Amino acid sequence: MGVTVDVAYTSLNKFKEVLCGDKVELLQTEDSNIMILADGMGSGVKANILATMTSKILGTMFLNGATLEECVETIVETLPVCQVRQVAYSTFSILQVFHDGEAYLVEFDNPGCIFIRDGNLVSIPRNVRVIRDKKINEYRFKVKKGDALILMSDGTIHAGVGKLLNFGWLWEDVASYAVKQYRLTISAARLATTLTGACDELYQHRPGDDTTVAVMRIIDRKPVHLMTGPPKKPEDDCVMVYDFLSGDDTAKKVVCGGTSANIVSRVTEKELSVSLNYDDPDIPPIAYIEGIELVTEGVLTLNKVLKLLRRYVKNESVTEEFFLELDKPNGASMVAKMIIEDCTELQLYVGMAINSAYQNPGLPFDLGIRQNLVEQLKHVVEEMGKRVTVTYY
Amino acid sequence: MRVTICIGSACHLKGSRDIIAQLQTLVKENHLEDKVDLNGSFCCGDCVNGVCVTVEGQLYSLKPEDTKEFFDKEIMGRL
Repeated sequence: MGVTVDVAYTSLNKFKEVLCGDKVELLQTEDSNIMILADGMGSGVKANILATMTSKILGTMFLNGATLEECVETIVETLPVCQVRQVAYSTFSILQVFHDGEAYLVEFDNPGCIFIRDGNLVSIPRNVRVIRDKKINEYRFKVKKGDALILMSDGTIHAGVGKLLNFGWLWEDVASYAVKQYRLTISAARLATTLTGACDELYQHRPGDDTTVAVMRIIDRKPVHLMTGPPKKPEDDCVMVYDFLSGDDTAKKVVCGGTSANIVSRVTEKELSVSLNYDDPDIPPIAYIEGIELVTEGVLTLNKVLKLLRRYVKNESVTEEFFLELDKPNGASMVAKMIIEDCTELQLYVGMAINSAYQNPGLPFDLGIRQNLVEQLKHVVEEMGKRVTVTYY
Repeated sequence: MRVTICIGSACHLKGSRDIIAQLQTLVKENHLEDKVDLNGSFCCGDCVNGVCVTVEGQLYSLKPEDTKEFFDKEIMGRL
């Protein structure tokens, strides 16, 4: 059975810092998903560089099949030495989950991975190896559907130290909070946000350290098919719609585009009904076609979707308010929510026809930018650690 | 009577939301809820002109400021 993952992370920057000293890399190989979290020593630029180098080196070497020894060796040799402390240092955790369910966890000096199975905390045994004087914990195990694995930087367990909490938020307490939230939240994104949100509260909104939570949940595949734009040649209408509607029933179908919606309605012989309710005055209302999960207008909606996804990926102000925005009943929020929370792979079906009316310079918005939008959408969703394929017509 | 207003990308930018709001108010003020059925539609293929409004199958091209006049003439005029 193939294993699919839902991955997401959020970070808080140390108070007054512009850059985060923690770095998360989400990668995919042919047969696995990899999540790496590195926490550079210190804060600000220096920490950011250390963490970025560490996570990138680990990611690149892992992708190319290097051994753990080689990776650690390279990091030790490469990281710049801090002039104040005379050491080169960044902690890291690596979690690799293969599609056959095998998992591999490597931890170096980060708080331990929180492993939740069947709603309970599972302890991860210590199996320490020393590589270049570094004590590294290694653990091989099998995952199953429903498991959640949480990597974090020490900003989490230091939350509130010396202020609200004498010794910070103890690992055991973070873990039991995570278990409780795991039962309430559905997606990796919400779980990560809730945990960093709690840290932020404990820090009284002035984090004393960079704080990062990265979550991987083992779930069923959740493919989403998104069709936008009419095909270049009208005779390809049917082919495009059939491709779009292909695949098993679990695939959610989304149409973004007025003309595309008309085409789908015509080819499937299902009525299109367009709502007149404006939740957001800037975005046209949504519509309904039987058998299609969601029907929206095209470029204006996608432009807003892209803005929301960017905000999410760049980790800017991804707080609980962000999720309130996602829960709004307008086309853009609904598409963004589906991509963030209910999608493991996105298949885009993109029509290349150009609407000559959109070339009109009198319009206050450049509508002839669908392909550009699609390219950007592809990149941003890939950054979220999801697989994206694009087919042009 | 079935009236549809296009809310596709181009029409949206030309003010379909404003036209819909005006028409909804006018229908209400004249107590025509039972007689006039306002609907949305996606692209009607006439993106070059104003907002596409269809009354009983006939296509009109509208600007928000002409809504009142259009209502009096084309909608009230047909009742």
